[in-house]
Amino acid sequence: MQERLSYFVKRDSVLHALNPLTKITLVLSIILISFFSPWYWTSPALLLLVIVPLGFSGKVAREYFTAALRLIIPAAGFIFLMQAFFQPIGHTIVFKFLFLDVTQESLSFAFRVATRITVMISAFTLFLLITHPSELMSDLTRRGLPPQFAYVIISTLQILPQMQAKAQTIISAQRSRGMDTESTFLKRIGSVVPLVGPLVFGSLVEVEERAIAIEARGFTSKKIKTSLYEIPDRQSDKIIRWVLVMLVIISILLNLWLS
Amino acid sequence: MAFINLQNVSYTYPLTKTPVLQNINLQVNEGEFVAVIGPNGAGKSTLCYALAGFVPHFFKGEISGSIEVAGMESSKSTLDEWVLNVGLAFQNPFNQISGAKYTVFEEIAFGLENNGVPREEIKPRVDEAMKLTDISNLADRSPYSLSGGQQQRVALTSILVMQPKLLVLDEPTSQMDPIGTREVFGVVRKMAEGGMTVVMVEHKMEWIAQFADRVIALKDGQILLEGKPTEVLTSDILAENGFGISRYTSTAREAKKQGLWKKENLPVTLDEAVEGFTL
Amino acid sequence: MKIQIDNLRFTYPTGLEALQGISLTIEAGEQVAIVGQNGAGKTTLVRHFNGLLQPTVGSVMIGDWDTKKHSVAKLASRVGYVFQNPDEQLFSKNVGTEVRFGPRNLGYSKDKIDALVERALSLTELSDKTETNPYDLSPTWRKMVALASVIAMDTPIVIFDEPTTGQDAVNVARIAHVIAELCGAGKTVVTITHDIDFCAENFARVIALSKGQILLDGPAHEILGQEEILAQTYVDPPQLTRLGKKLGMKETVRNQEEFLQLYKNKAR
Repeated sequence: MQERLSYFVKRDSVLHALNPLTKITLVLSIILISFFSPWYWTSPALLLLVIVPLGFSGKVAREYFTAALRLIIPAAGFIFLMQAFFQPIGHTIVFKFLFLDVTQESLSFAFRVATRITVMISAFTLFLLITHPSELMSDLTRRGLPPQFAYVIISTLQILPQMQAKAQTIISAQRSRGMDTESTFLKRIGSVVPLVGPLVFGSLVEVEERAIAIEARGFTSKKIKTSLYEIPDRQSDKIIRWVLVMLVIISILLNLWLS
Repeated sequence: MAFINLQNVSYTYPLTKTPVLQNINLQVNEGEFVAVIGPNGAGKSTLCYALAGFVPHFFKGEISGSIEVAGMESSKSTLDEWVLNVGLAFQNPFNQISGAKYTVFEEIAFGLENNGVPREEIKPRVDEAMKLTDISNLADRSPYSLSGGQQQRVALTSILVMQPKLLVLDEPTSQMDPIGTREVFGVVRKMAEGGMTVVMVEHKMEWIAQFADRVIALKDGQILLEGKPTEVLTSDILAENGFGISRYTSTAREAKKQGLWKKENLPVTLDEAVEGFTL
Repeated sequence: MKIQIDNLRFTYPTGLEALQGISLTIEAGEQVAIVGQNGAGKTTLVRHFNGLLQPTVGSVMIGDWDTKKHSVAKLASRVGYVFQNPDEQLFSKNVGTEVRFGPRNLGYSKDKIDALVERALSLTELSDKTETNPYDLSPTWRKMVALASVIAMDTPIVIFDEPTTGQDAVNVARIAHVIAELCGAGKTVVTITHDIDFCAENFARVIALSKGQILLDGPAHEILGQEEILAQTYVDPPQLTRLGKKLGMKETVRNQEEFLQLYKNKAR
């Protein structure tokens, strides 16, 4: 049974202590500024001068770099290659690779896209590392998010690993009936239904029971819900959020003004 | 006035034709411990849902007759009110864990949060409930890292913390291993002895015989038999209708036919069997 | 078909050493029950029989096949495995198709499949439900469908993982009947169970596992009478065994017939 149920890493840092809404604002601002910026150097700058330092400040740098190696760099690299080779723009051919022409404009475009994606995934990873889902949902619910919405998100996060375990059992059960999961591709396509079928049907029963269980604990009650934990929203949080919104607006205006 | 009063209750689930409950008449007094037995498909779970208000409020469907529980009446009270008075637990502990909380403590507090209990009150109430069910040492664990028996106790604690007047349990030990079964029965017994009104569906006859005040035998949506455990559990009617019975009972019945069991009443527990068979 | 296990050790990727040196032989046609508390290694052990798990140390031989050398799909022709939760297997649009899935995977001829499926359905009392969608059936009957699906594979060895958990008395009797038929046909039957009464009445040999090792292994008569050692696995002896002991019977009682026979002798 998996103990690590979310990507959140508990550390004692200024970043962690921010209000959840501030954390969302921070991450969204970084992503929006990266996307709206007209200059190609904005995204790398955000990455090296904002995200990585924040990672160190939040004491989650090691986890971030692990994710970067495993996911972010391969993803960004792949996108860069795809855009560079298969999205011919402009005419300044820089070099040829087999039958593909690579232009300077393509390279420039690919760089921009790849770095933006890197910023996006990095910011999001950082967010997951410093935010406890429960706290986030509690705070959002307090601010008016429907509790059902919050519930769906958190329970999915928790139940996914369990569903993975269930899927494993289903695979084992069907393999035990002679289903071949190790051979030809066609055979493996044929094994989708025996694997997905039980997962879906079996889950329906569980979902209904869980719905009854949370109903039995007043989940859909119209009363105003209280929260076990107090999540502070300090003056500094509010100031930071306003500053970030200002930066995003400036970035958008710059974009409009320069293009 | 009976604490639980079901009069001529019949119920059919939506999109089905056969009523799952047919003309159920049942009265239970406050503080009683009633066990419900019956083959699969008898309507036991539906009866539990009816006592907990989910039939008809959650499942809709067709209902007739009146259901009164703890001062509430089915046609007048909403499900929100019902769940405050009736706690419901069922077979699979995994499906009773909300998934919304990361620690056992938070999981138990969930019901209190939903009902707007002030923050200062939540912690002491959760602490107390955990002491009652002996899971205080599990407070910081993830509910998903626990054994079946532990999870079931967490589920029970999560409802007990809401201080219900009636506890309805639908086969809480069916999926437990022997240790888990013991743990769960321990909690149930403690609640019952503390004066809680309990209605529990169970298959384990020996335990029922020792701790239940009354037994209701359900089959095909109807009450076949009801009365004291010793009467019901040794009745020939059960044997004829495919109910599981204690091996002591079935062996003594056979022994009686062969003239080897001399007593009038058949045994349900080990001690009764020993007493009757001792020469 | 014989199962031969030599010094089996198994460690999960998490580092947990679930099996710590198990050696045992199950001869063809034996009926064996494996008992013990959760976490003792019962399921881990039994998953080695059809190759779902591979030994970290040691070997598992199914007949003349070393499980390390054959895929799970191949071993499925020798070892049928009935999982505890039928909902983790059922997916077909009707019972008939579901039951055919196993034998079809094994590549039997159409005639052989028809015969096996018919036999499996009649054994599990499902002959009149072949056109029904498994998920339209009650959990009781879904259990039977899962059973039929594995029986139809006609494997020499059949494993049952907690077959009676959550089942009512009528269905337990059905399952016991199925197991008796399998035994009658000479199959090797291995079951994991918490239901010690079911174990006593249907299985001639009992293996008690504790913390990844064999605590007890022998004929049911011997094992079930050893209360103190069984207590280590949190298993209560069967009801009639306890009764026999309390009445001072020297032999261990396994079922109603034995009890009454012994009692009659004592009464004389």
